[in-house]
Amino acid sequence: MDSNLGYAGGAPKARLPLLQRIGTQRVVRFLFGSAATISTLVIVLMLVFLGIYAFPAIRFNGLGILTQSVWNIGDQYGSGHVVRAGITAMQGAQFGGLVFVFGTVVTAFVAMLFAVPLSLLVAVALVYRVPPRLRPLVNAVVELMAGVPSVVYGLWGIVVLVPFIGQRLGPWTTEHLGFLPFLGGPAGSGNGLLASSVLLSLMAMPFMVATIRDVILAQEKSIFEASMALGSTSWQAVTKAVMPSVTNGIFAAVLVALGRALGETMAVLMVCGGAVGIFAQNIFQSVNTIAAVIVSQLESALTDPTGLAQKSLAELALMLFVITLFVNIVARLILHGADRSGEA
Amino acid sequence: MRKISAAALALAFVLTSAGSALAATKMLETGSSLVYPLMNLWVATYQKKNPSVEITTQSTGSGTGIAQAVSGVAQIGASDAYMSNGQLAQGKMLNIPLAISAQQINYNIPGLNNAHLNLSGPVLAGIYSGKITMWDNAQIKALNRSIASKLPHQTIIPIHRTDGSGDTFIFSQYLSFSTPSWKNGPGYGTSISWPAVATAVGANGNPGMVQTCQNTRYSIAYIGVSFLNQTNKAGLGFAALKNRAGRFVLPTASTISSAAGTLVGKTPNDERISLIFAPGANSYPIINYEYAIVNPKQANGQVANELKKFLNWAVDRNGGNSAHFLNAVRFIPLPASIVEKSRKQIASIKG
Repeated sequence: MDSNLGYAGGAPKARLPLLQRIGTQRVVRFLFGSAATISTLVIVLMLVFLGIYAFPAIRFNGLGILTQSVWNIGDQYGSGHVVRAGITAMQGAQFGGLVFVFGTVVTAFVAMLFAVPLSLLVAVALVYRVPPRLRPLVNAVVELMAGVPSVVYGLWGIVVLVPFIGQRLGPWTTEHLGFLPFLGGPAGSGNGLLASSVLLSLMAMPFMVATIRDVILAQEKSIFEASMALGSTSWQAVTKAVMPSVTNGIFAAVLVALGRALGETMAVLMVCGGAVGIFAQNIFQSVNTIAAVIVSQLESALTDPTGLAQKSLAELALMLFVITLFVNIVARLILHGADRSGEA
Repeated sequence: MRKISAAALALAFVLTSAGSALAATKMLETGSSLVYPLMNLWVATYQKKNPSVEITTQSTGSGTGIAQAVSGVAQIGASDAYMSNGQLAQGKMLNIPLAISAQQINYNIPGLNNAHLNLSGPVLAGIYSGKITMWDNAQIKALNRSIASKLPHQTIIPIHRTDGSGDTFIFSQYLSFSTPSWKNGPGYGTSISWPAVATAVGANGNPGMVQTCQNTRYSIAYIGVSFLNQTNKAGLGFAALKNRAGRFVLPTASTISSAAGTLVGKTPNDERISLIFAPGANSYPIINYEYAIVNPKQANGQVANELKKFLNWAVDRNGGNSAHFLNAVRFIPLPASIVEKSRKQIASIKG
């Protein structure tokens, strides 16, 4: 109370008119405006820096980084060099990133195959089926899942998921369901596409559940109730009336989650099997993602005296950056469109 | 994360050494996960006797060890591989042998893990290049006549290191020196372009190799001998390897010493030499010097002196090279002539 009294005293009174003169609105606008500018500027600067740093690699590799699948930093102990486009690399150097682009896209895509239907079901259940008194608990669990560091998911993957897939699920599936596409062939070690995608879907789910739940809640409940009043079952009401009205929101949520899955590093690195030069033929084989390969190859790249291996990793990073940026921008545009149509 | 923590340590090191001369001299050792178990034993004992120095050890892989010794983040970069001419052209670095190590080929074949399969360089090259895909392949059977009928018709899962690794260096050297097609193909290095094998799996560090091999039936892996206790505990088998003389030998103190004995005399003054695929009937084919990669120009005299003291202790038969330490990790001590050469290199470190 004392401090409050003091505050109500002389000094602040003298200050108030000043703030009024500048205009609270303007101050706030300036603060928010500069914060927004800085965050945009940081992204642009990162792009520029990566671009400049990776430029020799971009020239050396050309389109090869997208079309070739051999990643070879070159003969470290040989004395030869190879020069292309005026850029020097170690003899035999070849930086083909197709395997990593493939792994990045496929792990994220398969993760979405698991995560999207599950998240939809959980979100719908949260809105319409979970009793109101249990809702805070379920919401808390979903948010807790979002807060778990990815290395913890990775550790669980190594200790529980990988042995389970490698010793039970993989051998059983390839033996009994091997005639189906992507399920036949060698069962692998458990490290690979399936393990990576399961972890990614677990990490993507909390965000998707929360977003889809909010999108559904944002729609007026009347749609659901009106549909029920017209005699539909609750399943019909959800699938035929509610869902079509929130498709855009869900799609955007999926894209944002996809953007995160594309760049997820640690957990994937721990269970992906570090594939080199090979494209997984089934869901059990080793894969490698751009993010994982940057981490696992960085120290090898540091031993390249020409420095081109590092710069090629930077080029990969640039590609990942552009891919995720693109996915995020599309997601924002769709969300923005959804908001507009909601207003209209 | 490793880099960040290493950078933080380096920063702490700079701050403290600038702050007061009385504080303990801090040094960072990083690199080879094969040397790490030994460094742990060494540092614990050494620091008890020398409270004026504080050494932090990290298991990060030989690639990082070399890179961080060059960049100055670490005072000692531990590596199973000596540096290449190309790397040394960037700036002078010392390659100081600390001990002699070896590498075993581990496998996980239920029922055969106590049998010590016979394997050769060409067969391993065949496995790692995807030409030999089944454990009951005729070439493997031919090397293991007594247990040929027990070899399972199962797909081999070759495990390799994904990080820059001295173990990859010595393993790929064994394949290169024994198999012309490997030499002209992937070749050798701390990081090589592995042939595309559908079932291949990458693992991180020696601990990752042990774990993946243990988790994966019908897999095969190359793992540093300092992890032999762990691989035995994990129930993995280890192979007898075909040496240059055509005999199959297991990695024991006797076979590692024999191999070293044939090649140490050829060690040059900068001590960069491969001990792989040594001649001699009793020589184990995958042995190597474990190197401390050190910058001859250290940050200041105090660090240089403490570093020299520690390295001289490490190569001493009554210090770090005593049986007490080396037996625990199955390394063998440096021969006297190599200790002399290492001491000469250590003496050239300046502040």
